Amino acid sequence: MSIFEYNGSAVVAMVGKNCFAIASDRRLGVQLQTIATDFQRISKIHDHLFIGLSGLATDVQTLYQRLVFRHKLYQLREERDMKPETFASLVSAILYEKRFGPFLCQPVIAGLGDDNKPFICTMDSIGAKELAKDFVVSGTASESLYGACEAMYKPDMEAEELFETISQALLSSVDRDCLSGWGGHVYVVTPNEVKERILKGRMD
Amino acid sequence: MVAADSRASMGGYISSQSVKKIIEINPYMLGTMAGGAADCQFWHRNLGIKCRLHALANKRRISVSGASKLLANMLYSYRGMGLSVGTMIAGWDETGPGLYYVDNEGGRLKGDRFSVGSGSPYAYGVLDSGYKYDMSVEETSELARRSIYHATFRDGASGGVASVYHVGPEGWTKLSGDDVEELHYHYYPVAPAIAEQVMEEATAE
Repeated sequence: MSIFEYNGSAVVAMVGKNCFAIASDRRLGVQLQTIATDFQRISKIHDHLFIGLSGLATDVQTLYQRLVFRHKLYQLREERDMKPETFASLVSAILYEKRFGPFLCQPVIAGLGDDNKPFICTMDSIGAKELAKDFVVSGTASESLYGACEAMYKPDMEAEELFETISQALLSSVDRDCLSGWGGHVYVVTPNEVKERILKGRMD
Repeated sequence: MVAADSRASMGGYISSQSVKKIIEINPYMLGTMAGGAADCQFWHRNLGIKCRLHALANKRRISVSGASKLLANMLYSYRGMGLSVGTMIAGWDETGPGLYYVDNEGGRLKGDRFSVGSGSPYAYGVLDSGYKYDMSVEETSELARRSIYHATFRDGASGGVASVYHVGPEGWTKLSGDDVEELHYHYYPVAPAIAEQVMEEATAE
């Protein structure tokens, strides 16, 4: 098994009408053994910017800590929050700094930019940005996630419908992956509020 | 009592959640599947054929000891060629109930209880702590179901449906087939979270 499949993960983000949703599974495993069923893969950078990290769990935690540090410095200097596009460039630069000994994670970034326009992107482990207008996926269940999102996604969904769609896509994909699942964690972000929900899924 | 999950996986991908891992060799003998699915299915069917031929030639049913020996010898002759079979042969013969563990190395062990497969350590934990030699059928089937459930929870390569079969003097019967998702929420119901602070609508003044 490759090092990216050591812990197991699934992260997906989708764009809706003036909102976005980002979801992940909750399993932390060591190859086939499940260690925890409440692992946090999605972290808040600020109220309108979230990052979900898939891949090796130790790098997920370390990279998140470093990114929060950099964002706090930015807030002190610029006296404002980072725009999602800027943050994506920052993540890309930080990952490429370690080009010959990389962080073994694939981030999924989702945020609301100027005029509350939703922004999503994903990257590989050395910082190659991939912007998308509809959805981005990452993790051991990524192939299933691509299929499920492609089938279920519609443009301009409202927050409630977006929540349903992303939850169904996540749960049906992780049910085809041995290494991810054991519940789901979904954040739906609109200009006024952030709704965090835990999904009841298959625990096998 | 024989129980199994129903997941088949290829590396990380789950190829099926509905595989029959308890193979019905004949109406009074069961075999379990662990390891390579094709190997287990083929060799169990082959064993069924040999058991039938034995019954026709000797005018009486083969014993569980004999059937497991046939399988073990066959697997021993293919030793080192890459077969992957970890199976338990369970049945009822003139000497009473019989349980044997047989694997692709040609090993064959008689015992009271076994657990086989990638999820076996987790199942052993539950099985060993709950086992007594004199248990009723209901207690035993519940222990078997729980063992499979706990293995599916912790092991990534186990899941799907927990099937439980009972082997008695009249042969085997299937007792239950429960989806492990339902078993999880049955054993560990989700208590509704009590909100610490509830937001209320501001009244217009």
